[in-house]
Amino acid sequence: MDTPTLRGLYRDMWLIRAFEQGLEREFEQGNVPGMLHTGLGQEAVQAALAAHLEADDAFFPDHRCHGINALAQQRHAGDGERIMAELFGKATGVCSGKGGSLHSADPAVGNFGDNAVEGSYMATVLGVALAAKMRGEPKVACAIIGDGTVGRGEFHESLNMAAIWDLPVLYACVNNGYAISMPVGEGHASANIVDMARGYGFGCEQLDGNDVVEAHERVGAAVAHIRAGNGPRFLELKTWRWQGVFAGEFRPEAEVKYWREEHDPILMAADELQARGVSGDELEGIEAEMRELIEGWIDFAKASPAPDPAKATADVYVGWEVARR
Amino acid sequence: MTAETTTETAAPAPTASPASAEAPPKKPAKARKTSFTQALNGALDLAMERYPEMFLIGEDIAEMGGDFGVTRKLLAKYGPERVRDTPLSEAAIVGTCVGAAMVGMRPVAEIMFADFLGECYDQIVNNAAKVHYMFDGQFTAPLVIRTACGGGFGGGPHHSQSVEGWFLNVPGIVIAAPSNPADAKGLLLASIASDDPVLFLEHKALYRARGEVPEGWHTVELGKAAVARAGADVTVVASMRMVPMALAAAAAADDDGISTEVIDLRTVKPYDAETVLASARKTGRVVVANEAPRTGGLGAELSARIHEECFAELAGPVVRVDGLDTPIPFSVPLEQEILPGEDDIAAAIRAAYRGGAR
Repeated sequence: MDTPTLRGLYRDMWLIRAFEQGLEREFEQGNVPGMLHTGLGQEAVQAALAAHLEADDAFFPDHRCHGINALAQQRHAGDGERIMAELFGKATGVCSGKGGSLHSADPAVGNFGDNAVEGSYMATVLGVALAAKMRGEPKVACAIIGDGTVGRGEFHESLNMAAIWDLPVLYACVNNGYAISMPVGEGHASANIVDMARGYGFGCEQLDGNDVVEAHERVGAAVAHIRAGNGPRFLELKTWRWQGVFAGEFRPEAEVKYWREEHDPILMAADELQARGVSGDELEGIEAEMRELIEGWIDFAKASPAPDPAKATADVYVGWEVARR
Repeated sequence: MTAETTTETAAPAPTASPASAEAPPKKPAKARKTSFTQALNGALDLAMERYPEMFLIGEDIAEMGGDFGVTRKLLAKYGPERVRDTPLSEAAIVGTCVGAAMVGMRPVAEIMFADFLGECYDQIVNNAAKVHYMFDGQFTAPLVIRTACGGGFGGGPHHSQSVEGWFLNVPGIVIAAPSNPADAKGLLLASIASDDPVLFLEHKALYRARGEVPEGWHTVELGKAAVARAGADVTVVASMRMVPMALAAAAAADDDGISTEVIDLRTVKPYDAETVLASARKTGRVVVANEAPRTGGLGAELSARIHEECFAELAGPVVRVDGLDTPIPFSVPLEQEILPGEDDIAAAIRAAYRGGAR
């Protein structure tokens, strides 16, 4: 990977971290409604996927998806602040505040929306891929899932159907070690998800999802393979989430220390960039620039109006109006 | 009492559907005596010709032509890309439809038995019904899920259920429920043309029903009930298999001097409240007939709505005819204990006529 590319990924990862940390602060202050699932610690996975998915592709983001949503929105439409506004439930959000954190979508940038029912879009992604195949479009349909989703029936239905129909699907399984509180190895027949996917007979790889160089390279290879019409690919990207469970940190101290201090994707990329001669000042400048950008997005979200109340009953059906109270 | 014709076997074609305006102006659309199954098959064939973005998907629908023969011969005409067999993966079948519809395709799924909808309930309830709303109108889900429902043939607990109640409380879904071959064709073509997701219920006892079916592109507007039989004294609101039963019961009531109007809902969600309430106000005596279990279903909704909006104009309470609140047993005499029949509707008509007491 050349240095400008790595520098760009470093910037993207800082955009995500600044986004999530700013959002956490606002959530704690009571400015963000609902629940909060941040992607802190998983920035490399999201930056690597966002770098290879084009606006004409389709991705279904995972439960900790603000980062890839923001990157796609910023890269393809230049208005990443609309992802922030959606999380604040504002009229300027990508779904006018009707979707929120788990249902932010914008087909113009390839974002087909998350789904709060884990694994639900493992079935939906098949249809997007099948349509592309029937039309001869070089589209990649990407389902980004967590390790917990492997327990759902749709996971297996999906891999099976993608295999028998040779569909252009990229499965990106973000294995962060825990499904809320359950460790991967206790919830699944193998702690290595890739072992379970291999039975479906298409190419599966496990990689370090915190090494942005490796993740970027392997995602790029998988996307190229799929786009060329060679059928599905499965990637297990091993990472770790900073956020604990609702009651706080529950994981062993040594594990927390390893992932936060020794295997932080941003620190790893910074080390690599400095080894290539990029100065510490420049890296600090990138962080400061991203934090400033995100503060602007938060200001935009806060200043945006609430949705028109008529939106509450709009778009239930195409063919019928639903009466307001 | 009216001279509206009825038959024991199947309801007549609706006298006026909005789509009849699409027929060539001078000569009326030709009609042929056709079975319910053939009417559905013909509709799928016509729609596949009209919509290149349409495809069929389901278990054993291709070479075999579906468990009830509805997709017969379509594989030979349209090929395996557009007539697509699947493994036993109902969630993936419906999910595939949702995803394809989100990018502009027009899929039609067959779920072999409505009882299997539990396997894809999440896809219908949380995706098909919600992608248009929760993503602020940026996606639509123009898909149809055809499925065989209903009992009365010894199918047992998992091959006999009436499932409309499972979906009535789901905003965003349309439920079409034809009672005769002409409506089967007309509602299916309208469902395929619709940009909303449609659950299309095919009562198994109706597959062999025969009736006049207009040739060519014949649609029946979704959300519009039909007055299957006009009458002055009692209204029966029914759908699917309850309609021919209600028509037969209404004919029998003629002998008692009771003039019975039969409303065929045709679409049970969103249902045609205007037609139902107008008939209730006219007759003041209403029977609501459904095969599904009594509690919390379509009958409960209709009864509540009629009482709420027509209370002062009613001569007595709405009389409900429903299935019992049990699963459906296999043994036919036991099944007959559970499911409502023509005699139950006839008794309900008389009860309503007397003022609601049964």
